[in-house]
Formats: sequence, structure tokens, C-alpha cells
Amino acid sequence: MRIGLVCPYSFDVPGGVQFHIRDLAEHLLGHGHKVSVLAPADDDTPVPDYVEAAGRAVPVPYNGSVARLTFGPVSAARVRRWLADGDFDVLHIHEPVTPSLSLLALWLATGPIVATFHTANLRSRAMQAARPLLRPSMEKISARIAVSEDARRTVVEHLGGDAVVIPNGVFVDRFAQAPTHQAWLGTAQRPTVAFVGRLDEPRKGLPVLAAAVPRVLEQCPGARFLVLGRGDGDGVLDGLGPAAGAVELLGSLTDGEKASLLRSVDVYVAPHTGGESFGIVLVEAMSAGAAVVASDLGAFARVLGDGECGVLFPVGDAAALADALVRLLGAGDDASSTVAGEARAALVERASRAVRRYDWGRVAQEVLEVYETVRLGADRVGEDPRSRTLISRWLE
Amino acid sequence: MSATGWWLIALAVALVLGWYLSYSAGRLDRLHHKVESSRAALDAQLVRRAAATVEVAQLLDPVTGLLLADAASRALSAGEEDQPAPDRDPLTVPPYLEEAENDLSRALYLALDDSAAVTELQGQPLTADAIAVLAQACTRVQLARRFHNDAVAQALRVRRKRVVRWARLAGHAPLPQMIEIDDALPPALTR
Repeated sequence: MRIGLVCPYSFDVPGGVQFHIRDLAEHLLGHGHKVSVLAPADDDTPVPDYVEAAGRAVPVPYNGSVARLTFGPVSAARVRRWLADGDFDVLHIHEPVTPSLSLLALWLATGPIVATFHTANLRSRAMQAARPLLRPSMEKISARIAVSEDARRTVVEHLGGDAVVIPNGVFVDRFAQAPTHQAWLGTAQRPTVAFVGRLDEPRKGLPVLAAAVPRVLEQCPGARFLVLGRGDGDGVLDGLGPAAGAVELLGSLTDGEKASLLRSVDVYVAPHTGGESFGIVLVEAMSAGAAVVASDLGAFARVLGDGECGVLFPVGDAAALADALVRLLGAGDDASSTVAGEARAALVERASRAVRRYDWGRVAQEVLEVYETVRLGADRVGEDPRSRTLISRWLE
Repeated sequence: MSATGWWLIALAVALVLGWYLSYSAGRLDRLHHKVESSRAALDAQLVRRAAATVEVAQLLDPVTGLLLADAASRALSAGEEDQPAPDRDPLTVPPYLEEAENDLSRALYLALDDSAAVTELQGQPLTADAIAVLAQACTRVQLARRFHNDAVAQALRVRRKRVVRWARLAGHAPLPQMIEIDDALPPALTR
């Protein structure tokens, strides 16, 4: 099948949507499909050879923060050329309700179009204002996919209609078979806990973990906390005092190193406080065999099977987090660490079965089913003649 | 204001109204086209499901096999039976279609109820393919029906608009209808 994927965000900035599109593209290419990804990028930005650069992304204030957008006649011309050259059977755009390359491509294209909604926190006021503007474009979408129940609910509430839930994918075996790293391996006396996420984004929950660290150390003095992520965490970690010695900042790591970290540690902790629609890192940690402790956000509870495959604690509750960690780490003596080890093994055993649901082998198959369904009874993807209005001609 | 001024305003209003009407008509036409495509896709998937059921029916014991084959052939012929007047709109949903498809869903549900037996069929090279094709066809029926009903909902929303009704932009096109059938997969086929 000839598949065109449109990525709204720059490939040189790490992010969940970009990783999802990259992995989907590589999986489909590996299975003999012809895939091209259109993404915002400068001509001199190095990108994989299946990525087509759509022009530079310009920072623009939008919805209370700064969005990096690709727009204007140059981008429009590039999208048109990409559509014409690609001669796609299916066009798959991601996150079409943000002002981005995706929305531009949606406006310019016609034919079998699939759209994936990733976010669960659309601002409803902005959406209400934009609804009449977006509706004609939204009506071109033949099939809507949401990456989680939460994202689906957002689609139903803000756009009406429905969406099929197909989760984000993970290459489960890459994590399950990652090499362990001696420095990160936990021992009975010195168990290890991993945190992954930007340090200066409170939503990722580092302050909650920081508040739990001293409580954990009271009962389990040997515990080590390995923090992976970019950003400035000084403000959060300064308050730790003597407990700061137990926290090791690893900075940013490569994908391979991240897999090794999750494979090596005893526990992965996700103290996020909100705004998560899926929780891909949880699935990665589950794949790698780390026991997961996470805040009980809806998306996390669903990934963890309501506590079957990991421990949930109330959002923002550092004391509950500390209790959960101590139960899974032990108190440094042999007896309690054996009990803790058994508790972890039981969680990991259930989790490693549950994560198969998120393996790319299966997720991509479900996406392909959607492609096949919309292809039937429709033409090929082409340029929408209505986008050649007076205004757009004048712009060119 | 001079007469010319009034004429100019009237002309401007007429132009805007004309543009809006043609824009709405184009949008409605597009939505009707989309509904036709999604309906064609759904019909094709329903036929695939029935055909796959016939294949599976031949692998089972004669009682179950006959039950499935019967339901599948009814579903297959529901599209052709009672061939109505040639001017029947392809988008209408005759009640016997939903009924026949529901019966097929129920038959599949009953026949493939025993997950141990299904797992055994999935394990044998001769039968695994037929089961996999059926599971895939059932999944695609679910997808196609959801996409179709979404398209219908969008078309209906535009059809309800005052402008569309007053200016009769829909012409004689009948109101598109959602298709309500039970398309739940037999539990043994869910992956």
C-alpha cells in the first residue's frame, strides 16, 4: 500500500507524536509498504530518508503557549507536490485539530483520509471558537482513531461523532531484550528507582517524587533514584537536603540507554499530575520488566489494568507514593527485600503479558485494518480542487 | 442614501447569499458522496464476513456448520432478495438487511462460543487461515459501520440546517440512514 503520513511537529524535537509516527513508518516500511512522512523541517535538518521536509517551523503564540507552525504558500506548494508525487492510497494525518502542517494537509487533500487524535487536553474554549472553521475540514476525514479512551472522549465531546481506539505502539522486544547496565542494577541493599521526564515541567511530577524521597529513605536507606530527563531541576532538588545524595541526575539519554535503564532498575515511577492521554513510558517500563508505580490518572489506570499490572497511588500524594515504593523496594534487610522482590515479580509477570497488546506488530495491524476499510469504495488521495480558491491563488 | 447605494448593497447581499448557498450545496454534496463511499465499504465488508463464515462453516461439525452456512447465505442474499424497483436508492436500509446481519452475528456468537475449540482450530494449519480471515472480516465490519455512521451523522447535521431545508439544497436525495446491527465479535475471536 502507498501511505502518506503527516506529522504536525518537527522531527528534530523529541515528542510522543513524532516517535509514534517514526515507529509506525518504520514498521510499515519493514513490512513492504511504501511510506512517506511529511514533517516540518528545514532543508538542512538531517531527517530519515522516508521524511519529506515541508519547510521551517516558525514559533507563533497560540492557545497560551508557543506553537511551532509550518504554514504559508511555500508550505502549501510543498504539500501539493508531496501529494502529487506520493500518489497515495491512504493519507494518515496526526493531531488535525491543532494549527499545524496536519491541518494544512487536510485542507489541501481529498480521498481516503485517516486522522489520529493523540491529545486528551484540548482547550474547550479555543475549540468552541474554532469549530465552525474546522468543521468542513473535519468532514473530509473518513476514519478517526484515538490513541486512548481519554483521547476518544475528547473527540466525542469536542467534535461529535466517534473514534476507534488504537493505542500507541511500543517495540516490546527492544525493551524486553535491552542489555542491563551494571551501574543502574538494583541490589537488595541498594534498590534502584527510575524517573523519566522533563525536570522543569511540574506536570511530569518530579516535585511529588522529591517529596517522597526522604520518606522512602527513612525506611529504605539504600534506595537510589535515577532521574532521566532534560531541563533544570535545581529548584525541585535543592530542598532535599541530606537526601539529595540518593538522587542521581542522568541528563538525557539515547533511546537505547533509556531501554537499558528501564531494564536495569527495580521500579519505574510515574508521578504525573495530569494532562496525560496515554502513558507510553509506562508501557516501555512494563516491557522492560520494571515494576511500575504510577499516579492514578485515568489513562495510567487503564494501561495498568486498574492496578493489576502496577501499583497506583492518588495523584500528587507523596506519602502514598513513598509507601508504595517501600513495599516494592524492601527495607534493606534480606527478609523484607525477598518479600518486595516477590511482589515486584508478580507485577512484572502480569505486566509482561499485558504489554503484548501494545506491541507494534499488533497495533500496526489494527491501523492497517482501518486503512483497508477506508480504501474500499473510495478514490485515491489527491489534491482537493476547492483548496485552489481565489485566496490561495492570490497567495501563491 | 442614493438609489445606487441601495442597489449596491442589495447586490452585495445577493452575492454573499449566492456564495453561501453554493458553498453549502458543495459541502452537502461532498457529504453525500462520503456516505455513499462508506456505505459501499460497509456492504463490501458485510459480504466478506458472510463469505468467510461459509468457509469456517465447512470446518465445523455439521450441526454448527449448517447453522452458520444458513445464516451466512441469508445475509448474502438479503442484499439481492426482494429486488426492489430499479429506482430504489442504494442508501436506504431495508429492515431485512439489518435483521439478516443480526442473525449472522448471533449465529457466529453461538457457534464460536467455545473458546477452547476455536483455539484448537487456530492451532491447525488447515483451519487457522479461515478463522483468521473471519476474525479480520468481523473487525472490519465494526470499523466500516462506525465510519459509515459517523459520515451519516455529519450529513444529517448539515441536512437539518435551515438554509439547507429552505433552499432545498438536498434536492430529492433521501435522508441517509445509520445502520444499526450488533457487530460484536465472538469473544473467542477477539485478539
